[in-house]
Amino acid sequence: MLSLKIAWRFLQKSRVQSAFIIAGIAVGIAVQIFVGSLITSLQDSLVQQTIGSTSQVTITALSEGDSFKVDERVLAVVRNDARVKSGAVAPTLSVNGLYSNGNESTPLTLKGGDLKSLDALSSISGRLTAGTARLNRGDILVGKDFADKYALSPGTKIQLTFPGNKERTLTISGVFDLGSSQVNARQAFVSAEVPRALLGWRSDEYAALETQLVAPFDSAAVATDWRARLKDLRIVEWQEQNKDLLTALQSQGSSSYMIQAFVLIAVALGIASTLAISAVQKTRQIGILKAMGMNDAAAGRIFLWQATILGVGGTLSGLALGFFLLFGFSFAGASFSITPKPGFVAFSAGIGIVVALLSSIIPIRKTSALDPIEVIQGG
Amino acid sequence: MADVLLEATGLDKVYGEGDTSTHALRGVSFTLNEGEFASIVGQSGSGKSTLLNLLGLLDTPTAGTVVYHGQDVGKLGKPALAKLRNSLVGFVFQFHHLLPEFSVLENVLMPALIGGRPPMESRKLAEETLGLLGLTGLEDKGADQLSGGQKQRVAIARALMNRPALLLADEPTGNLDTVNTEQVYKLFRQVGAETGTAFLIVTHDRAVAQQTDRILEVRDGELVQDVRNSYLPPAQ
Ligand SMILES: Nc1ncnc2c1ncn2[C@@H]1O[C@H](COP(=O)(O)OP(=O)(O)OP(=O)(O)O)[C@@H](O)[C@H]1O
Ligand SMILES: [Mg+2]
Repeated sequence: MLSLKIAWRFLQKSRVQSAFIIAGIAVGIAVQIFVGSLITSLQDSLVQQTIGSTSQVTITALSEGDSFKVDERVLAVVRNDARVKSGAVAPTLSVNGLYSNGNESTPLTLKGGDLKSLDALSSISGRLTAGTARLNRGDILVGKDFADKYALSPGTKIQLTFPGNKERTLTISGVFDLGSSQVNARQAFVSAEVPRALLGWRSDEYAALETQLVAPFDSAAVATDWRARLKDLRIVEWQEQNKDLLTALQSQGSSSYMIQAFVLIAVALGIASTLAISAVQKTRQIGILKAMGMNDAAAGRIFLWQATILGVGGTLSGLALGFFLLFGFSFAGASFSITPKPGFVAFSAGIGIVVALLSSIIPIRKTSALDPIEVIQGG
Repeated sequence: MADVLLEATGLDKVYGEGDTSTHALRGVSFTLNEGEFASIVGQSGSGKSTLLNLLGLLDTPTAGTVVYHGQDVGKLGKPALAKLRNSLVGFVFQFHHLLPEFSVLENVLMPALIGGRPPMESRKLAEETLGLLGLTGLEDKGADQLSGGQKQRVAIARALMNRPALLLADEPTGNLDTVNTEQVYKLFRQVGAETGTAFLIVTHDRAVAQQTDRILEVRDGELVQDVRNSYLPPAQ
């Protein structure tokens, strides 16, 4: 405890120096937390945007466009897999149509299914900007961008043209915003009967069985398992289809690790040099203390305590500053919000303290090795 | 006859190696009893500080032994030596060597804290010791806010804090004027009488040495004279 008292007094005596190094650690830890959380949240948000409201593992017929029977055999494989998000299983059919208002036309992909299972995948009901979530035979739910472009609102009847010059008139029951303007402009939802009648399929035939997983990055493993059990069907998973995105995310992730690593190295060098300078400045005092009978271990502990005080003080200030930055960022109007993960924050704080302790090794060694006679003889 | 406190036998000290080496001490042997009040005199470079550092366990002899209360300290490890430095000896140097980060009281308390002695009792003892040296009232001043004479008295109080069996002083009054010098020696005497501490004081000032009970003279690293001195305190 005497070592702690002396450490504290040494730091107090050189207040400005101590304040600078605490500020240095604080900035380092704050940057670490801010950049780390920013990147993970950005990545989560990108992944969420990509797959949050679409199928993550999809079962289709072997050749594209064909139908397949969604029977007990297929459903058992999917429903008995604990990795599938509960209820997030939707048999769907799709048909491409064209909407035209006379001078302009837009292709629309109509996905047919029952509202409950479509909701489990895309939570359409929760993302309506107008109208009601209803998918009866004559209803259609359209995206915000599409509705805005043609000034359409719930209740409006729209006429769509399908391959083979078939036409259907449907009533807009609601307008959704799924977070992606591409989806909002091109995608529409209808009841299963609409595409089924257009395609002439039987009632247990579907184009796809769409699923979402508890952990989206399990998709490759899940797909491999299902392929082994459903050899007559095609299993597609999102990671395969989004290789470019994932590569981009990965390189973004590693550049973020690089930034964090360099920041931490800078912090470590800062603490190490401050403590080394402090050890030199206090050589006389350490020599006197040793001459009075303080042993090497206790003398070394003075600098261990200094490092601990600086490390803990700097890290706590860094946490405060980091959260302050994140709080400030929430007003910056970004399209996503940053949620710092407790584990990552604890990890960053731990690193701050460990780095501080490691950088005290050299001064501790120096102090332990100091022979009091050098100081006493030097006057 | 008082008990033997310290026995130095055949102390040799060589600094450095080869052509540049200095033979600072050659075969110094003597015995010091408990409570003795002795001085070491000699010219500059004769080896006085070297001898004091060996006796104070700050340095180790090239040859010879230092025995305290029958214990050969050459056989002790570094931690045991540190412990002995803390409990057995007190140091007063030419330069005060106070810790500027701490108050007067804290400086005086430091040896007790290092020795892990009970804080409350130590505090009382520290205040008592400061009183003994006429420093009452300065307890909370910073160590760097004192006059030269005050600093040296604080250093003496600190050296006496653990009530050592031996107080080693290396030119303790080298930086003080005659009035202060006079005062310090009077204090040494007084404290010696009250605490039973033995004193070994290095000085190059013969007049100062004359005020001690025993004078050891070192010349070119050898102990050339060891005389009893009948000191009579000046009439008050
Ligand atoms: N660390 C050292 N390295 C080399 N030589 C040393 C060292 N310390 C002392 N000496 C030499 O040892 C001899 C004795 O030195 P010492 O300091 O004991 O003398 P002293 O009697 O205390 O002198 P002074 O009265 O000037 O303080 C001197 O010749 C000195 O140069
Ligand atoms: Mg000397």
